[in-house]
Amino acid sequence: MIENSPARLWTMRAGYVALGLMILFFQLLPLETLPRRFTGPDLLMAFTFAWAVRRPDYVPVLVVAGLMLMADMLFQRPPGLLSALIVLMTEALKRRAPGLRDQTFAVEWIIVGIAVTAVMLSNRLVLSVLLIPQAPLGLTLIQTAMTLITYPLVALVTTFAFGVRKVQPGDADTMGGRA
Amino acid sequence: MAKDKTQGEDFVTPLKRMLTGVVVLCLIGIFLVWRIDSPRVERFRAQVVDAIVPSFDWAMAPVTGAVNLVRDVQSYQRIIEQNRELRRELQQMKMWKEAALQLEQENARLLDLNNVRLDPRLTYVTGVVMADSGSPFRQSVLLNVGHRDGIVDGWATMDGIGLVGRISGVGQSTARVILLTDTSSRIPAVIPRSGQAAIVMGDNTAAPLVSFLENPEKVRPGDRVVSSGDGGVFPAGLLIGQVAEDPGGRLRVRLAADYERLEFLRVLRNPGTEAITDHGALVSQAGSIPSSDEQEIDQ
Repeated sequence: MIENSPARLWTMRAGYVALGLMILFFQLLPLETLPRRFTGPDLLMAFTFAWAVRRPDYVPVLVVAGLMLMADMLFQRPPGLLSALIVLMTEALKRRAPGLRDQTFAVEWIIVGIAVTAVMLSNRLVLSVLLIPQAPLGLTLIQTAMTLITYPLVALVTTFAFGVRKVQPGDADTMGGRA
Repeated sequence: MAKDKTQGEDFVTPLKRMLTGVVVLCLIGIFLVWRIDSPRVERFRAQVVDAIVPSFDWAMAPVTGAVNLVRDVQSYQRIIEQNRELRRELQQMKMWKEAALQLEQENARLLDLNNVRLDPRLTYVTGVVMADSGSPFRQSVLLNVGHRDGIVDGWATMDGIGLVGRISGVGQSTARVILLTDTSSRIPAVIPRSGQAAIVMGDNTAAPLVSFLENPEKVRPGDRVVSSGDGGVFPAGLLIGQVAEDPGGRLRVRLAADYERLEFLRVLRNPGTEAITDHGALVSQAGSIPSSDEQEIDQ
């Protein structure tokens, strides 16, 4: 019952922002100044999708857009493009969230996988249409694959460390009563 | 009750959709503005970075330190073989030191003979690396010196030994250095042994390509590569690295600067090379140099 109080809602939204800032912070640390053959996953995107699928109300549009735009600015990416794509995809996932509630994790994984691939591909497509120089294709593919592979882990952390769980039928009743 | 809820959402949902639409349009707008007027948006980006990253700094320094500490501890595990390796290298270094001393003396003698003066205006500002680019696709670092220290776009940056990159983007108290390994880095260079001019092109690998060579046959792996100063971008003669050949047969530079640990970087103040603008007068004015022929005719 406490799970659905407004205080809890705002705490979790703040928690999402804090998580995003932590990820930005750790990626900015000057630890890797050599070019890498291998890249890690895009954790910011994976966590955003994992939260959006579980509890759409914890990741409002404006917060996602703000965080992504900041990441674009700090990481020297073309500002706005990747954030627009991720915001669109997050909204699409949110709309599917009620349908995904009763499905197994495998279905969620596949759908998020399609979302990640779509974001990466359309990003590259727009960049190449507008003749903007871009990173080697191999790196993008590795990053996409790594994001997909680490997604179960991200989902696990989201569920158990942050306590972002899908709405259970019982919760829905109490929420309905509250509303 | 459930019915109540759906009715309540009926007017909220379209509003949410509209908000999403507006947000996405704004983001695409920012992207298009960046595409059309890149320098202005990049300046804005420099200001954003300038505002955000220094506020992280208090936390960044200790965390970076801690991670490096852990890495150092890991390297202790291999300490015995490292020790053996170092002894062997030290032996070689002694030999080289001897050679270097002799060369230094010879060089000093020759400079003295030629009455050469090194450029006294080539001074530098040293900055600390605060952050890297944070993305695997961009090779750059952020220094804690900026406009207030007189840093200007385009100046060369070195670590103690070799060229590291070029200043690109200056904020009030931060400056971004595009490393030689970044895909957008192009540096005019020269290979002094054969006198060949080349361009050092970064391609997101540890060793940038050497291209636009006139005679690639004349270049051998191991040759030194230094900046040529062409185009007035950089001062000439800064060490970049050594030529190496990759398995594909292409020539690359093994960089002299230690990219594994970029901590302190020197930004070279470059007053710019003077340009010669006039064509030069071949014929002296008023014919003030009398030629010997004329004198003979006069007589």
